[in-house]
Amino acid sequence: MRAEIYCSHKFRMANVYWKQFLTGLALISLAFGAISCRVLANDEEFFGKTTPPPRNLLRYVNGAEPESLDPAVSSGQPEAHIYMALFEGLVEYHPKSLNAIPAIAEKWDINNDSSEFVFHLRKNARWSNGEPIDAHDFVYSVRRAISPEVASRTAALAYYIKNAQAFNQKSVFVRDPATNQFLLQRDFAAAGTPVSEALSQKGLAPNELEYGATATSPPSHTHTEFHQSMHSPARLVLPADEKRRKNLVESDAKLAAAVNGKEFVRVVGEDIGVEAVDNYTVRVSLSQPAPFFVDLMAHPLFRVVHRKTIEKYGASWTEPANIVTSGPFKLKWWKPYNELVTERDPMYWDVANVQLDEIRFYTSTDHPTSMNLYRVGGADALINHSVPNPWLDVVRPKKDYMDAAEAAITFLLINVTQPPMNDLRVRRAFNIAIDKETYSRAKRTTKPLSAFTPTGIFVGYPQPKGESFDAELARKLLGEAGFPVTKNSDGSFACEKFPVQGLSLIFATHTSNKAVAEFMQAQWKQNLGITIPLGNMESKTHMVAVNKLEYKGFALRIWGADYMDPTTFLNMFLTPSDSGSGWWDQKYVDLLEEANHTLDRQKRYELLAKAEKYLLDAQPMIPIDTPSVNFVKKPYVKGMYPNPASLYAWKFVYIERDSSKWDYKTPSLSD
Amino acid sequence: MLRFIIRRLLITIPTILVVITITWALVRLAPGNFYTGDKKLPAAIEQNIREKYGLDKPWREQYLRMMADVLRFDFGTSLSYPGQSVNGIISRTLPVSATVGILAYLLALAVGIVTGSIAALKQNSKWDYASMTLAMVGISIPNFVLGPILVLVFSLMLYWLPPSRWEGFPSRNIILPVITLSAIYMAYIARLTRAGMLEVLGADYIRTARAKGLSETQVVVRHALRGGLLPVVSYTGPALAFLLTGTVVVERIFALPGLGTYFLHAASNRDEPLLIGIVAFVAIVLLLMNLLVDIAYAYLDPRIRY
Repeated sequence: MRAEIYCSHKFRMANVYWKQFLTGLALISLAFGAISCRVLANDEEFFGKTTPPPRNLLRYVNGAEPESLDPAVSSGQPEAHIYMALFEGLVEYHPKSLNAIPAIAEKWDINNDSSEFVFHLRKNARWSNGEPIDAHDFVYSVRRAISPEVASRTAALAYYIKNAQAFNQKSVFVRDPATNQFLLQRDFAAAGTPVSEALSQKGLAPNELEYGATATSPPSHTHTEFHQSMHSPARLVLPADEKRRKNLVESDAKLAAAVNGKEFVRVVGEDIGVEAVDNYTVRVSLSQPAPFFVDLMAHPLFRVVHRKTIEKYGASWTEPANIVTSGPFKLKWWKPYNELVTERDPMYWDVANVQLDEIRFYTSTDHPTSMNLYRVGGADALINHSVPNPWLDVVRPKKDYMDAAEAAITFLLINVTQPPMNDLRVRRAFNIAIDKETYSRAKRTTKPLSAFTPTGIFVGYPQPKGESFDAELARKLLGEAGFPVTKNSDGSFACEKFPVQGLSLIFATHTSNKAVAEFMQAQWKQNLGITIPLGNMESKTHMVAVNKLEYKGFALRIWGADYMDPTTFLNMFLTPSDSGSGWWDQKYVDLLEEANHTLDRQKRYELLAKAEKYLLDAQPMIPIDTPSVNFVKKPYVKGMYPNPASLYAWKFVYIERDSSKWDYKTPSLSD
Repeated sequence: MLRFIIRRLLITIPTILVVITITWALVRLAPGNFYTGDKKLPAAIEQNIREKYGLDKPWREQYLRMMADVLRFDFGTSLSYPGQSVNGIISRTLPVSATVGILAYLLALAVGIVTGSIAALKQNSKWDYASMTLAMVGISIPNFVLGPILVLVFSLMLYWLPPSRWEGFPSRNIILPVITLSAIYMAYIARLTRAGMLEVLGADYIRTARAKGLSETQVVVRHALRGGLLPVVSYTGPALAFLLTGTVVVERIFALPGLGTYFLHAASNRDEPLLIGIVAFVAIVLLLMNLLVDIAYAYLDPRIRY
């Protein structure tokens, strides 16, 4: 709201009865408005001052206050930025592509169907207190991160690891006390459910067959007992909660008979498929092939944390006096809701290549406030999406404005469980009645979207096309569904039989969300003659309504990628309860499963695209756009690329004092 | 007098408990939880979180445990900032809010009383009109408009003052927030002073004071101001409470790590312990300030006896 003040020529005023006073004030505000528009719309090349800071430090406006310094805890972007400074994992995000690059692991081998990984750790990695980092540290960190006690919100990202889900959900195995054998999942799988055939689940084969000839150091000498147990069929997993377990067992006669007289063994951290083969080798076994898993391992959830510190201090291990870190930077001080300052860690294995002396993460949740600070030279770069929409006209032409595609999608979720939206024809009509091209032109920073994956993010992915704008067909479809659209004498449309009662388009309170919702509403009114009421909700209220299907009609959602693979979007409809639309289809799940079992990358992509097409045809949602990254960074800040997830490996970022080497446009991601 | 104070302090206790209960109930009734985010959590992960924070227990048990903690002045650990105690957050942020608040309060009092008095003494003069017009502007412009205008002029155009952030006290960063915060109070105090003074200046005891040959300064400072400031006193007590405990808008505009910032955060994130802690603290300060106002009344107005 405050952003508008700068360039609008009217102020909202309380009732003031002195006429001349009002006139005077109007004049003053006009003057302010005129001056401010001139100030902001000047002809500078860059938005504000471009004097580099005197020292090699980066002042980064990081948005919200970080919840916690524990990398297992938070899923937000401000936290991810800080975790990437303080903690390192086996791999790190590439500054441009976000693919995995070596970090604590020097190199890694991937088995032939991407279901098992062997990481070779460098021997010179050290904690900020000087102790060496080894394979056991990583194993501890993963077990801890997904333990139910830590209650991590991002733990589901590790569910690909064998037994990780069972451990996180406090499930139990079933063991026969007489033979010490565990019951197996495949004996109880419902008919038709595909049984995983990942290499990691089958008996051990000679190394060449598992890893191919390219593996740098065949880990054949390392067939441990644990590895044997990983390479056996999956065990049967039942809920730990006795009531739920009883219900489940009683509903299945075969299961009840098999479980009788057996003992239940709690799944523990030692059961998950993460093994320290020796001090500097880690083997990770998955329960299914996941070609993107190495990239996923750069996520903060998998970064190493210091066991002794955590065991000594408990919840307060992250306090500045206690914390021991593994990343290129260490904590210098933390003034909550003000600034968190990190400095180069001399113990870091690659310290010679860490360019910045210090990174100062500033907390500022108000975008105009952040922009002002940037403008006067009090900050060097801002977090993504910090340029307020009304400022775009002024800021966008500047050379320090960063513009690139983002790994996210905007869409309207549809509650398909209630009439009239349970009718596919109605859903299709509402989709193709929206002119997304016009929308994106009006919004300026986005690309129109007809699919359920972002456009221009996954290289080589044959993204399917959804239906495009066709108001004529939309009206016809509604007619077929029993809601004829009639044309009024003035050229507008009406659809009197359509039951609008109770339907709404709900969105979380935010100026930009409101603009999207209003545009959609106007399109439907114009092309179908139907006015869907808007429901503006506080953000958490909105989330609860979506998750519990407590809305009728449409819900505006924005979904950001957790990792760089189409499944980060497509998996949203994997279970009946998770999407918030009520739509679920076994065929869709099978298609995804089939794709994930496909070794050839391009073929896998094609199968994923087939699944996506299937989803688009069923249309439990209406895609709207692929948003753009939009933030500003000073031209002297180099090595910071507007990558699709806005995550920066900080050791590559530096301050360039030679103005001929500055960035005079958005740096390219492709070279 | 002492009995009055003790009685008032005792009434404070049940009031605070009621306030806390209502706050607790309201957070519980609001949809969503502190862990509700952009993406839906798998049921098992939600269950892990609920167990970790005792949210799976019956609500009576949770309420009683919360109350027991509150009575020991231990508000527990923040839910949205794991590992940070509520008491720690309050004691850390209060100095920030209080510094800005007290400075704004002093500025408002000084400017407000002086302008108000001048306006009253020179009633219907151009001084009167000018100061009252300014006061009207001060009351009418909300601080979320005034703040950005000040930033625009003094930071972005003139580069005199930093536009935001807290650098401790004293620092130049504090100037703009203090002015922004004090403007509306300044304006109110000026108008209240003027009204109070005008009423008192016509009173018999002022005529008496003049009649016994006191100088005009003595009449104004010793007699008129004392009576004329009564409305100001009853206004500034609660005002000081609000200024001390932080203002959401100004702290947000200037990115100040104060109590108001956390108040807003706690409410929108359903951070129950943090919210209850801050509400209880604000309620206590507010009730104490009201008590102080009543005591000050007794001192300023000889007619009042407790």
